[in-house]
Amino acid sequence: MTRYLDTLGTLVQLELRQRIRSVAWIVLVSVVFVLVGIVTALLWFSLGAFGGDVSANAAVYSTIIFFVLLVGTLVTPAISGGAVNGDRDAGTLATTQVTLATAGQIVLSKFLAAWTVALTFLAASLPFLIFSVAAGGVGLATLLVSLGVLVIELGIVAGIGVGLSALMSRALFSVVTTYLAVAALSIGTLIAFVLGGLAFQSESRSTFIGIDYSVGGEFDPVTGLPEDIRCLPPETYESPVPRFDYVWGILAANPYVVLADAAPTTFDRNGNPQDLFGSISAGVRQAQIPPELDRVQDECAAALAGDLDSAYTFESAEEIIERTVPSWFVGLILHVVLAGLALGGGIARTRTPAGRLPKGSRVA
Amino acid sequence: MTQDSVPAVPRAAIEVEGVARSFGDVHAVRDVSFTAAAGSVTALIGPNGSGKTTLLLVLATLLAPDAGRVRIAGFDPVTDPRSVRTRMGWMPDILGSWATLSVRQTLETTGRLYELTAEQSRVRAAELLELVGLDPLAEQPTRVLSRGQKQRLSLARAMVHRPEVLLLDEPASGLDPAARVDLRVLVRRLASEGVAILVSSHVLAELDEMADAAVYLDQGVTASADRVASSRAGARQWRIRALDPSALAGALASEGVAIASTDHLGTLVSVASETEAAELLARLVAAGVAVSAFGPAVGDLEHTFLDLARGDAGEAGR
Repeated sequence: MTRYLDTLGTLVQLELRQRIRSVAWIVLVSVVFVLVGIVTALLWFSLGAFGGDVSANAAVYSTIIFFVLLVGTLVTPAISGGAVNGDRDAGTLATTQVTLATAGQIVLSKFLAAWTVALTFLAASLPFLIFSVAAGGVGLATLLVSLGVLVIELGIVAGIGVGLSALMSRALFSVVTTYLAVAALSIGTLIAFVLGGLAFQSESRSTFIGIDYSVGGEFDPVTGLPEDIRCLPPETYESPVPRFDYVWGILAANPYVVLADAAPTTFDRNGNPQDLFGSISAGVRQAQIPPELDRVQDECAAALAGDLDSAYTFESAEEIIERTVPSWFVGLILHVVLAGLALGGGIARTRTPAGRLPKGSRVA
Repeated sequence: MTQDSVPAVPRAAIEVEGVARSFGDVHAVRDVSFTAAAGSVTALIGPNGSGKTTLLLVLATLLAPDAGRVRIAGFDPVTDPRSVRTRMGWMPDILGSWATLSVRQTLETTGRLYELTAEQSRVRAAELLELVGLDPLAEQPTRVLSRGQKQRLSLARAMVHRPEVLLLDEPASGLDPAARVDLRVLVRRLASEGVAILVSSHVLAELDEMADAAVYLDQGVTASADRVASSRAGARQWRIRALDPSALAGALASEGVAIASTDHLGTLVSVASETEAAELLARLVAAGVAVSAFGPAVGDLEHTFLDLARGDAGEAGR
């Protein structure tokens, strides 16, 4: 076991030496540092301008975390997607394969190195994350869970990239395919969700029973209602409504949703989420709730009961989140399985002596 | 198992029997059989595209053969690649190197991948740097090396774990004449220490000087021992240079030896055997011709190789 880890360590070190000393890496890390810095400064001042107390909640922190996830998933395919086939092109894969290092060690080492490099981009944003945490309002659970999910998601992209680089012969194709996989999860799930919801439409009927203001005598100066409340005949409207409750599961596979849904959030007195985690999570959870297909809004009955507002009840985000099911672990498991399959396939493809080879590929 | 019963072979370090490997429709190696003994240098000879590199990839545990049987130091590369890798060193024809690592780090890392300890790797790297003459460049990144220097690094890398079997794919290409001599001396020394070495090249003159045996490969097929023997024994050209070319021409005419051609190096004549050549030289000297050079026009390997190639062309014509 120690011998296995020893060789794995040598390979990871070899891989990191090649990547971290590169000019491209230094440039990218600097760019990430500057970008996250700008975003943090803008958030700080713009959220402050809305009159909210930016230091009382995790609004800035959660937005930076999402931005780092965006940057991380954009950069990681580039550093992982050419790991194995790039080495084959450079003629350094075969010379490693003839040593005692196994295909598993070779592919895993590249995965671990790519993940480490991806995490250096997170490290470059660390000063700003620390700043937003130091400003206050970020709960320990929120901090740990969001960072943890972010680290795992970056690892998943690295795993998919390295796996595909072993499965495909050309580095260009595997990098592009990794980008497509990231895009499919980040944007594709959103598109599928919206289109899917629109495709399954249901006919919804809503009935409105209003108050006849033309009769009933004097208006009460306090409530604005007539003294003698008379109901109007019910008015019925029919309209199609999209059924997002059928397709909400698609969004569970979205990495941003996974992150938002996993991180515990805080709510204000009215039950509104105070950070981006809660806002996104509430939006997705809302989709789980089937629309009311036969809705009766009886303003008149409410007025007769003495509370007109009871006809217009809205659930707060907090209530929605409480009565719906979390989905983040489903998404996270799906992502881990995807990365695992890519890596497993990559290891099988890197194994030597090689049997059948895909057309146009080479050994050394 | 017939190979084992042949007593003349001390111990076959490389055994190849009926090996074939194709890539889709391309039959790179069709039927290759040969053995190479420990402590010997075997030349693998063939024109471009004859399957030399594919065969070496099969021997180097990188490609699985479609058919046939391979044993490297007694182990099967397909079922037990690890045992083969512990005992086999492979120098590829493509000179890939980890660009950002120094020459020394490259060798040390390779040592670690062969499961040497850090200390063993360090010592071995220092030895090899000295051996292949890369000491002055030890701390340079490998990307700045010239082709010949990379070639030497590649050779050193193949020897990190002191293999019993060395597979060298075009080791001399890109080397300057001095480095070629060094390579030859090194290869002979390794053989004398008991290493079995298989060298592929198409620079035949060079192989002539270091190989004990040769395997001829053409279109993925090895030439049989009989055919090699008959080609080797066939008439070949000898080159004679005399101080006075006209006196030589006269003497040859009176001996009844036909002049095949004349070039700037001398006169070429066809001679059936070494004995006949020796007799011809004695008669020329006796006739008073001042002979300054007398020798085979082409090396043994080249002669055999060209003869086999001609034989193939003849068979194809029939």
